Amino acid sequence: MAKLTLRLTLIEIVLLLGALLVLGRAAQLQLIDGASWRAEADSVRKETLVLPARRGGIYDRNGVALALTQEYFEVGVAPNELRERAEDVKAIAAALGMRPSQVASDVRTRKWIGYRGPFSGSQVRTLRGRHGVHLEGHYARHYPAGSLARGVIGALRPDSARGVSGVEFALDSALTGVPGLAVVLKDRAGRRYASPARNEREPVAGRDVYLTIDAELQEIAERAMDEAITDYEASGGDVVVLDPATGELLALASRQTVEGQVVSTKASFFTDPFEPGSTAKLFTAAALLVRHRVTPTDAVFAENGVWQMPVNSRGDTRSIHDAHKSVGELTLAQAIQVSSNIAMAKFADRLSAVEQFEALRDFGFGSPTGVEYPSEARGVTRPPERWDGYSKASIAMGYEFQVTPIQLAAAYGSIANNGILLTPSLVREVRDPSGQVLYRHQPEPVRRAVPPEVAATLRQYLRSVVAAGGTAEGAQLRNYSLIGKTGTAVRNQGGVYKAGTYTASFAAIFPAEDPQLVVIVKVDNPGGVKVFGGQTAAPITRTMLEEALAARTSAIDRLRLGRPGQDTATVVRQPDAAPIDVASRDEIVSLPMLAEQVDPPGQSLVPNVAGTTLRRAANALHRRGFKVAVRGAGKVSRTTPAAGESERYGTVVTVWAE
Amino acid sequence: MIWLLVFLAVAVVIQGRQSWAIATSRRLGVLKEQRGALEAEKAALERQIRLASSRRVLGARAAQLGLHFPQDSEFVYFRLPAER
Repeated sequence: MAKLTLRLTLIEIVLLLGALLVLGRAAQLQLIDGASWRAEADSVRKETLVLPARRGGIYDRNGVALALTQEYFEVGVAPNELRERAEDVKAIAAALGMRPSQVASDVRTRKWIGYRGPFSGSQVRTLRGRHGVHLEGHYARHYPAGSLARGVIGALRPDSARGVSGVEFALDSALTGVPGLAVVLKDRAGRRYASPARNEREPVAGRDVYLTIDAELQEIAERAMDEAITDYEASGGDVVVLDPATGELLALASRQTVEGQVVSTKASFFTDPFEPGSTAKLFTAAALLVRHRVTPTDAVFAENGVWQMPVNSRGDTRSIHDAHKSVGELTLAQAIQVSSNIAMAKFADRLSAVEQFEALRDFGFGSPTGVEYPSEARGVTRPPERWDGYSKASIAMGYEFQVTPIQLAAAYGSIANNGILLTPSLVREVRDPSGQVLYRHQPEPVRRAVPPEVAATLRQYLRSVVAAGGTAEGAQLRNYSLIGKTGTAVRNQGGVYKAGTYTASFAAIFPAEDPQLVVIVKVDNPGGVKVFGGQTAAPITRTMLEEALAARTSAIDRLRLGRPGQDTATVVRQPDAAPIDVASRDEIVSLPMLAEQVDPPGQSLVPNVAGTTLRRAANALHRRGFKVAVRGAGKVSRTTPAAGESERYGTVVTVWAE
Repeated sequence: MIWLLVFLAVAVVIQGRQSWAIATSRRLGVLKEQRGALEAEKAALERQIRLASSRRVLGARAAQLGLHFPQDSEFVYFRLPAER
């Protein structure tokens, strides 16, 4: 009996130990090694997929789509999976725009057929759910407006759909969405089964960017450049149209002839500086007026069109010619009107080199304007210590320094805007996918380039250029007043001025009163008999403005247009007519820009760059005309002088980074 | 017995919820596909309209008809009287 009891006890102990072993092993598997076993099971049973996010669209200021991302499809066909082969072949051929005999031949002879396309969603709609037809979707960029503004929009890297140039690159972080993650279940054959409960992260589409560009004005500008190449046998050119009250760029067109082909995708208005010629005479005139070195009656002898200018004490001279020969004496206003090189050279002698240089810098030359474009050129302005005896005269005539068309537009914009230089802008709004506005452009004053009364005097000078006897007499419109300045510069190729090659240009402000547009037209190397700015760029400007005035939708506000000598026609509303919906009209909002917000001439506000990168901080400070010294590395913590202080242009601002 | 019934009821609810979710997911997928297709169609049509109404096309046709872009002296803007 005792033996039996012992045996039972032993069996119980063995069973208990066995149970403990099983329990212990289970605990080890579940608690200690559980995570790794679960991961291994998941890797066999589940697959994590990256769900691509749709890239944000790029639109013009009125919502016209310029670049959109859409889902496109590649179509794969597995012939052995097709159920109604004859009918399937017809459907595939019809959807993909192929010959049925071609599809039938493919289906007969191959085990797997891949039609790469890409095919749009509407094309493959009839193929969805059809057995044996497999659709592989992917996003691709699409340009509904064709080649319009492609130089501004830029391009994407083909392999990664990230911006590589233009706005696509500059605003890549805003346009790129956040990819999602999804977990799908797999069976033993590797087939995937989606489950709604297993989307770990939904993709978030990129933000939409609304440019300041007006599509209709852009088309007018691009056509104007095409016609310039044809009509004037030019090798290229640029057009910039800017709203001087806001700094918004309304149209940007570029054409360059490369090996006989016209290229329209280059943004040369941002990247290619040129010697502006006589369009720059206005800036020396501004310096003379600001520093009171000339009175309205002061005049200089125009030398009858040819002058041997002494350039040093040894008696060396340089010959200066006037294309439009003048006799007698010329005031500063007359020198601008007839674009006299000789008179401007003589007037420029009343300025020191530093004063003339500072005037150029006050108008923004020599620094990037800060427009939202990744590879903007800063132009070329040599410091006064590197000038020679001829430089002051040369710069007064628009040589020995280079500007980009965008810098020239911004500088003329400041004259139209009562002396306040604004940062040109290409981005009007950024919106999230639900349409909520995340960013809206506000005018960004850089500095006061000239006092308001000097700006008014300069506009008066420009009025005379398009009046009878001026160099742009033919540019004037009949009913609306346009003011501007012509320029014709001999082109410098490889450091040598090549006779007979010119850059013709015209800088216009429209209308003369309450300006709405600044138009810069540059024609490279016109090859016909017409080579001067007044003969080429000025008529192009006039044609563009006429087309813009007649356009259905245009950036020009007709309500603000004054008509010299002819009032706008007034419609007498009938008493029983429906009331005008005033609320639905566009309203002109005055600029939130008070006089105390802008700086006196030669001074600038230190911007707040705390929290930005050193590169961005240096850029922002350079744009406002400061020199930069860096202390430390990393993110900017503060500056000396501090943000908001008004400092003289050229002051060294120390940037402290941590 | 009661526990078995409770267990079965809970299982039925879970199964029903999952089935409903999967069906909704499929409907959502179909709707997304339809939306994508319609967006593509809309973009294609907008592109056609844009190109057909572009100044390049219309200008050429207008020139064939003997028309030209008006000069600024050839059109008049009408200004509506101010609201009283």
